[in-house]
Amino acid sequence: MNSINLKINGEDCPVDVKTHWSLAYVIREKIGLTGTKTGCEMGTCGSCTILMDGKPVFSCLRMAVDAEGHEWTTIEGIEGDDELHPLQQTFIDDHGMQCGYCTPGMIIAAKALLEENPEPTESEVRKAIAGHLCRCGTYVRIVKSIMNAAEIARS
Amino acid sequence: MEYYSPTELNEAYALLSKYGDAAIPVAGNTFFMGHREELFDEVEAVVNIKKLGLSYIKIEDDTLKIGATTTLNELFNHEITSSGDYKIFAETVNELNINEVRNMATIGGEVCIAGEVDMPTTLLAYDANIIIGGSNGTRSVSMQDFHLGYLNTALETGEMVVEVQLPKPIENARGGFSKFERTAADLPIVNVAVRLALENDGTCKEARVSVGAATLAGVPKRSIAAEEILVNQKIDEALIEKAAVASNDVECINDFRASSELRALWVKCGVEDALKKAIAQG
Ligand SMILES: Cc1cc2nc3c(=O)[nH]c(=O)nc-3n(C[C@H](O)[C@H](O)[C@H](O)COP(=O)(O)OP(=O)(O)OC[C@H]3O[C@@H](n4cnc5c(N)ncnc54)[C@H](O)[C@@H]3O)c2cc1C
Repeated sequence: MNSINLKINGEDCPVDVKTHWSLAYVIREKIGLTGTKTGCEMGTCGSCTILMDGKPVFSCLRMAVDAEGHEWTTIEGIEGDDELHPLQQTFIDDHGMQCGYCTPGMIIAAKALLEENPEPTESEVRKAIAGHLCRCGTYVRIVKSIMNAAEIARS
Repeated sequence: MEYYSPTELNEAYALLSKYGDAAIPVAGNTFFMGHREELFDEVEAVVNIKKLGLSYIKIEDDTLKIGATTTLNELFNHEITSSGDYKIFAETVNELNINEVRNMATIGGEVCIAGEVDMPTTLLAYDANIIIGGSNGTRSVSMQDFHLGYLNTALETGEMVVEVQLPKPIENARGGFSKFERTAADLPIVNVAVRLALENDGTCKEARVSVGAATLAGVPKRSIAAEEILVNQKIDEALIEKAAVASNDVECINDFRASSELRALWVKCGVEDALKKAIAQG
């Protein structure tokens, strides 16, 4: 076991990890933040996406043991004190989900996009979520949710 | 399985020598973690090489030097590798559509895989050299000689890649990259990188046509026949078509992801597309 301290959503999370454990596994099973989903566990579905120092990465492809020294943000860390993040709100309002399994990953990827590019075109939105699968096929509404969130964030 | 995160190169080399073939250097993690089930039985020591100061992009003595742990998105965003002589790097990364992978995967990981990845195809077209480090010092191996075969490189036990170097492309050099894959999450089925050096009157002084992901050899190969058609000629549409047809001197692999016939067709289309991109760069 390796003792490490992960900084997740601004909080210190001391945890003991084995070398081969993925960050996704540790976040869900050891720290208890189950908003981050695991699907394929080989980097092809996008559901485990979290932010590393503001940039999206797949937490299933990251060894937890070398995750120290970064600021990690999961879906639990993006809302304000009392209100939902604009992306969370538009995903509800525009029905950007059916079963909801891909939603945390989609929202995290979209958040990183909007921070870098507050006025994305539809094709830029599609490119930002290219590594994310929605098995319900809700892509059109996901794109709409992200476009509308961008507009709300700008206003 | 032990985990190490050395901060000095010598420390890293000592660990790689000590554990020999049971040690694995990891950078972006994206390949290693995706194959963990197969690898975990064989690996006794994981050596994280991201804290060795090997993340940089710079030009020294007319040579472009890229540290092994530089990520694909760093290449995509850096001034040197997204414009001018070396913008082929950004163009190559642009064809990998998963932002999350681009934030993690490193150039060192790409060259060490010796399989279905994009960057080595481009590095072959740009006559890159791979700088290998170990306890006995460093040595330089050309991209062409670095890949011995599928998943097989010139790295000896105890060694790792520390840097990728590119000689300055000849004046008026232009590059183009083209790729076929099924979905963003797929690995490339065919990729092609070209580099042309043109005289002021448009005559081609030097040409490189490099084909990856599709080859029977499992690693990128140059199409010498296509290159010979281009050199000393003025390049127009008819010549591009002729070079594209000639690129069938690269033997394609037949596997579950695509038949060799389909790959050969896509190689031809890829060569045509990459050459047109290079010419359009003007
Ligand atoms: C879903 C998905 C799709 C992808 N699609 C593409 C694509 O279309 N095109 C493309 O080009 N890439 C693609 N990739 C990335 C590619 O497949 C590899 O995952 C990536 O290049 C590995 O880089 P890394 O830094 O993460 O390597 P790691 O996983 O850290 O290491 C990979 C291997 O190389 C060795 N290694 C790494 N660095 C060194 C070094 N400096 N010296 C010696 N050995 C070293 C490791 O020991 C290991 O065996 C994709 C990845 C995923 C997950």
